[in-house]
Amino acid sequence: MGFYDWMLSLHILAAFAIAAALVLYTVLVVVGRRADTLDRTRLLFRLAPVGGPLIAVGMGLTLLLGIVLAIDSDEFQLWDPWVMAAILLWALFAEVGRRTGVYYTETQKLAEGGGAEAEVLGRLRASTGARLHYAGLGIFLLLLLDMIFKPGA
Amino acid sequence: MLAAIRPDDVDVALLFHVLGAMILLGGLVTAATAGIAGWREDTGQLQRLAYKTLLLVAFPGLVVMRLAAEWVYREENLDAVPEEPAWIGIGYITADLGGLLLLVALVLGGIGVRRGGGGALLKAAVVLATLLVAVYVVAVWAMGAKPT
Repeated sequence: MGFYDWMLSLHILAAFAIAAALVLYTVLVVVGRRADTLDRTRLLFRLAPVGGPLIAVGMGLTLLLGIVLAIDSDEFQLWDPWVMAAILLWALFAEVGRRTGVYYTETQKLAEGGGAEAEVLGRLRASTGARLHYAGLGIFLLLLLDMIFKPGA
Repeated sequence: MLAAIRPDDVDVALLFHVLGAMILLGGLVTAATAGIAGWREDTGQLQRLAYKTLLLVAFPGLVVMRLAAEWVYREENLDAVPEEPAWIGIGYITADLGGLLLLVALVLGGIGVRRGGGGALLKAAVVLATLLVAVYVVAVWAMGAKPT
């Protein structure tokens, strides 16, 4: 196994770390919208901290190793349209993810800091957070399509 | 332009394979997280969430991943390769053995859910889900690195 193979396998593992966090958050968003008590929402928020490191490490490594792969490869270049598209989608995904994180972190603080039950449940049921999350999922899917089909390559 | 982005069959198969694997691993990570977080919880709510995630997320992911793996295998004519590379063997072993373990976890967890609370059977399902996370991380590494 050469350098390129190792970098590629770690790049893919990093992408799977992001995907794992997205699945975790999707389950929390879906179940959270049906939560009917403050205790239940607090229980769900106990799972959320696992997603943060997965997303952070995954995002950092996919970008870093993706650039390393593009530089190391004879087949692809950093300025290939599909590579540039991936970097743009990565940045968009990061921004949408940041906004989603801010929304749900505020909700978690309310739930754990003695906020009113109606307000916490209202935030979880509101479409704002869910829409942001699903937008992130959509961008991740576009990234996956770009990585596999490599349009223009 | 359209010709440039027209997908090959193998790419479509690969997309489903990767997507299924991501849903499978994500479902297992979520189930393991919920199960471990709810290990000492009396009501068993998180243990039941772990079981539902295994059933409704990880299992469908396994089915899509495994069917698409066969599709990729045929599209790439890998059955015509005289000496099968190690990564294909690793892929088959982890997918099939892992699939069997997931089915065992679903049966144990299903009985545990019927009995109510966060019993030993639900905990056994959580242990299997945690073990499967490790198994499939190795599988993902092998599919990317393709060791010979």
